[in-house]
Amino acid sequence: MKLVRAELERLSARRFVQLMVVLLLIAFAVTAATTLAGSHRPTPDEMSRAQAQAAEQRSSMEAAHDRCLRIKAGTVAPEESDYVPGDCSEIDPVRMEHVPVAGDFLSGVFTFADQARPLLYFLVAFLMLFGFLVAASYIGADLNSGGVVNLLLWRPRRGAVLGAKLGTLLGALLVLSAVASAAYLAVFWLIAQTAGLPGRLDGEFWRSLGATYGRGLVLVLLTAALGFAIATLGRHTSAALGAVAAYLVVWELGARLVLQIVGAARPDQWMLSSYVGAWLAGEARFWDSHACQGDTSGFCDGFYVMSWRPGLTVLLGLTAALVVAAFAAFRRRDLI
Amino acid sequence: MSAVIEIDGLRKTFHTLRHGHRVAVDGFDLLVEAGQVHGFLGPNGSGKTTTLRALLGLVRADSGRMSVLGASAPERLPEVAGRVGAIVESPQFFGNFTAHRTLRLLAVAGGVPTGRVDEVLEQVGLRDRGDERVKGYSLGMKQRLAVASALLKNPELLILDEPANGLDPAGIREMRDLMRSLSAAGVTVLLSSHILAEIQLICDHVTIISRGRRVAAGPVEEVLAGFDQHEWQVRVAEPERAAELLRALGLAVTDHPDHLLVAGVDEPELISRTLGEQGLWVRELVPLRPDLESVFLELTGTTPHPAVPRQLDGSVPPDAEPDDMLIDLDARENREVGA
Repeated sequence: MKLVRAELERLSARRFVQLMVVLLLIAFAVTAATTLAGSHRPTPDEMSRAQAQAAEQRSSMEAAHDRCLRIKAGTVAPEESDYVPGDCSEIDPVRMEHVPVAGDFLSGVFTFADQARPLLYFLVAFLMLFGFLVAASYIGADLNSGGVVNLLLWRPRRGAVLGAKLGTLLGALLVLSAVASAAYLAVFWLIAQTAGLPGRLDGEFWRSLGATYGRGLVLVLLTAALGFAIATLGRHTSAALGAVAAYLVVWELGARLVLQIVGAARPDQWMLSSYVGAWLAGEARFWDSHACQGDTSGFCDGFYVMSWRPGLTVLLGLTAALVVAAFAAFRRRDLI
Repeated sequence: MSAVIEIDGLRKTFHTLRHGHRVAVDGFDLLVEAGQVHGFLGPNGSGKTTTLRALLGLVRADSGRMSVLGASAPERLPEVAGRVGAIVESPQFFGNFTAHRTLRLLAVAGGVPTGRVDEVLEQVGLRDRGDERVKGYSLGMKQRLAVASALLKNPELLILDEPANGLDPAGIREMRDLMRSLSAAGVTVLLSSHILAEIQLICDHVTIISRGRRVAAGPVEEVLAGFDQHEWQVRVAEPERAAELLRALGLAVTDHPDHLLVAGVDEPELISRTLGEQGLWVRELVPLRPDLESVFLELTGTTPHPAVPRQLDGSVPPDAEPDDMLIDLDARENREVGA
């Protein structure tokens, strides 16, 4: 506990941490200000026009679905302009994830229900970057400057010292991320209430947003732990930055290109970014270039779905392996 | 007296891809007893800091046995860490923190009452500068802060690696006084330094390491006595005649332009009486006692030679035999007595 208190004070006093928090606040303020400036509360006239357009769009979708069913039943002859999928439920408005609503037809109006998720993704991406850089520099700078040695002269328990650092970092990051994300969403909810539209905020919406929020926090913590582990293994902040840059260039770009050239079936399942996307969004759809080879039926769905479960397994496994390796290396390492 | 630090047969090899393996410490022994102010000397690269790091659990020894305050190191070091204050080389502190905050954080981490911070800042002379950021400190001030951090625990054992590094003459003197007062208060001090005159002034015991091996150890006076050739510098009106008279007594006399050097004389009366009886009045008779610097340079083979720049790689050649390195004080003494 004493170590954690000392580490917390050291962490909060770091210039880099303070700078990143200021950047976070600036990004926060700029996004909120531009949204506020670019949105207005719709007039009753705009609203009724948008509602009419939405209703018209919905009825045309329902008509298309009915026509599909009749074509399938053979009561109506198909025309050239008709879109007739293999299964008419594909164009059934009732089953669609998103049916047209008034907000879709309002220009210059911020709708919270539509924008909350992309806004949250942006914040999670920023917090991931924040967590990775702060974690890598926190341990990297301490290993380089002799700060860790100083601490070990006081508390000669390497596991406890490194564990206190990682635990403090993750705890502080969790609190900061949770508070920042909640405040961020609250500000945009207020903007929607006063200068935009809340949209359809039912239980399903909040459940889904809450799940994204929770998954985002886990991702931020995993990224920070990864940065901490790589910097510990490489003894430098730059080791973590270099490892990530090398991975992105060599694997995510280079290897993806090579896999596409050789015609590999599912290159995305070899990429960490796919698992990150699948975990954060709940699932991700990728194209399998081999799925429809030799299909002559005329209808083939070449997409495959990656759910959040393999996403979490891969990310958690990789992070755990690197953290364990970092602790093992730190326990045995000569600190000179 | 009880042993506070015991090192027996410490060996440490560093392995690097580029340079292969380098033996930094090779069967080194050290014994520091309670209440001693023990000097730890050795040329650059001789293994001093590696020894201290191994003792404090910062590097893993290949073999050997170590104990600190009766606890085997590094396994049981956590049990006694609260009683040991240490600085190894020049510790780096967080530049944006003040000295006061730096020490307070260490105190919090180590479970020391934060009230100690002001006391140690006062002890090392930083009381009035304690609220300045460390990045604005001079090397000497950082060194004082490092010593303050070691004193924070009110330690029974203080291990200081080059504490006088960067200090001005007044600072060195203050450090010397501090060591003396700590010693008087019963603190055992192990002090590594290159400032040999300081070690001679402060320390009562000394261990000298060269190329990873112990080459001398014991009370400072005894180590120096082992190298005392009982030489006297003599100034006299007729040096040639005086030299003849002294040689006639069987003494070894070396002529110098303005004086004679007479060796192997225990009692100076022999010189003054012999010359006085022949009407040669001695103007100056000065005993030439070895100092720690000359002993150190001789033992470590680091006496400067104008034609040969000394190289600092003091690692032990992997195939060197221990006897190649060790200077046996007893054997040396016997040799000289025999001569």
